[in-house]
Amino acid sequence: MTLEQLLAETQPALLQIKQQDLADISAAKDWQSKYRVLMQLAKKLPPVPEKMKQAHLLVKGCESRAWLMHYHDKAQDKHFFVLDSEARIVKGLMAIMLCLVNGMTSTELAKFDLCHKFDQLNLKPYLSQSRGNGLTAMAERIKACCPVK
Amino acid sequence: MPVFDVQQFRQQFAFFQQQPDWVYLDNAATMHKPQAVIDAVTQFYQQHNSNVHRGAHQLSQQATALFEHARTTVAHYLNAAHSEEIIFTSGATAALNQIAFGLMHTELKAGDRILLTQLEHHANIVPWQLHCQRHGVIIDVVPLTVERQLDMLAYEDLLALKPKVVSFSHISNVLGHIQPVAQMVALAKAAGAITVVDGAQGIVYQQPDMQLLDCDFYVFSGHKLYGPTGIGVLYGKSAWLERLTPIFAGGEMIDTVSFINTTFNKLPFRLEAGTPNIAGAIGLSAAINWLQKHNTEQIKNHKLLLLKDFYSGLNAIKAVDILSQPVHNAGIVALNVDGEHPSDVTALLNQQQIAVRGGQHCAMPLFSHLALPGAVRCSFAAYNTLDDVNRCLLALEQAVEILTA
Repeated sequence: MTLEQLLAETQPALLQIKQQDLADISAAKDWQSKYRVLMQLAKKLPPVPEKMKQAHLLVKGCESRAWLMHYHDKAQDKHFFVLDSEARIVKGLMAIMLCLVNGMTSTELAKFDLCHKFDQLNLKPYLSQSRGNGLTAMAERIKACCPVK
Repeated sequence: MPVFDVQQFRQQFAFFQQQPDWVYLDNAATMHKPQAVIDAVTQFYQQHNSNVHRGAHQLSQQATALFEHARTTVAHYLNAAHSEEIIFTSGATAALNQIAFGLMHTELKAGDRILLTQLEHHANIVPWQLHCQRHGVIIDVVPLTVERQLDMLAYEDLLALKPKVVSFSHISNVLGHIQPVAQMVALAKAAGAITVVDGAQGIVYQQPDMQLLDCDFYVFSGHKLYGPTGIGVLYGKSAWLERLTPIFAGGEMIDTVSFINTTFNKLPFRLEAGTPNIAGAIGLSAAINWLQKHNTEQIKNHKLLLLKDFYSGLNAIKAVDILSQPVHNAGIVALNVDGEHPSDVTALLNQQQIAVRGGQHCAMPLFSHLALPGAVRCSFAAYNTLDDVNRCLLALEQAVEILTA
């Protein structure tokens, strides 16, 4: 499998998350429902094949490992990502982040504020744990893909 | 024997009044402090604060007396032959680093062997490795049996290779399994090895007797014995402590200094460079004095009771894979939910205010042996109640339900 194929599989999942699941998760009435949605999101994102999980793609969280691949469409200046994580809750949270940033231009990506976005989605409590679960590290890695002007 | 009054015991910990909603089962990481310890530390700063061993004034002499009294308290608790055999360090990790550094410059030469075990904490692996690589010393590792116990037959075979040092933990920080320390020390000594016991988890399980155990070195951290963080103990037989090269230099550990040569102070000071953690030592001493007012057999039985209930509850939850054995267990249970990453389980427990640890617990070689990404570790202390056990079990059931939905 190539990165292009993986991106092609990831894009519809991200679109669905953005258009449908984000509303579900914000509206979830209790923590159990929120986590159930997160689990579903993790399942929607196609896994990165083991062979493609090279060492330089590894983003280390405290307790679980995650991998990030980046594609920059230079003609349109758009950034696309695929990612995977060993842990499902983290992968669900990362899927949310990914649906927000995928397709962003360098300028948009540089301005992206994860904290603010998660606050809007009623997901702020999950960010407080993100030092440990690697979500913050993933956000930093994504932003680092944006070329410095 | 009268029954252990857990509520009376628990009331001495202000933490549980401040955080009544939490179930704290991360005791193998650090324990809570009773009021007696908090008061001793506060009192020192409020009434006696001065530097030790150097002031010309009476205040310093008082602080010195308190600090040295703390050393005596620890020495008595460990039944050390002399109080100079107690070196205050910042913790078990610092103590192990001092031993590895100290021996590598004196006792260990290229081609020598040292013997560790598969289930050691990184603090009992990496300090050795750092120096072994530089000095050409070989590390051998005692493997585990299928029951995840140390393979004692392999241990004896490896001792036949005549290691200069044998270093192992009393209790596995991941599995909670109690190692046969007395037997292991005796066998290692018969093979002519220097013996090092990592008592980080063992110290709170059992009061160790240095003269009976007869190991050359024993280390532990104060914060895992109801004491403050940043204080630990390196016990060593005087003859061995004398031969350690100090890892830190400066301050009180000096006898004479010129730019040609420096001579070191006598024990214990030669291994305590800089201003020591005076308040920490006093806090640790207060923890020991406080603990000795309680019946340790009652505490042990109470923890066994918690463990028994926890195991029977766990056995009733489908999809839980228990890594720790219920017998010869010091109160630590490592587990996984089948097919799930431990961090998903700990996140769901955290959501329900159950404090446990997940991951590899600074024991990566153990997890690569087990071929697992990690485990969830529930570790119990005397102040935990049956209600804590039940709440953890209910939370775990809820986590399993969400994960397997």
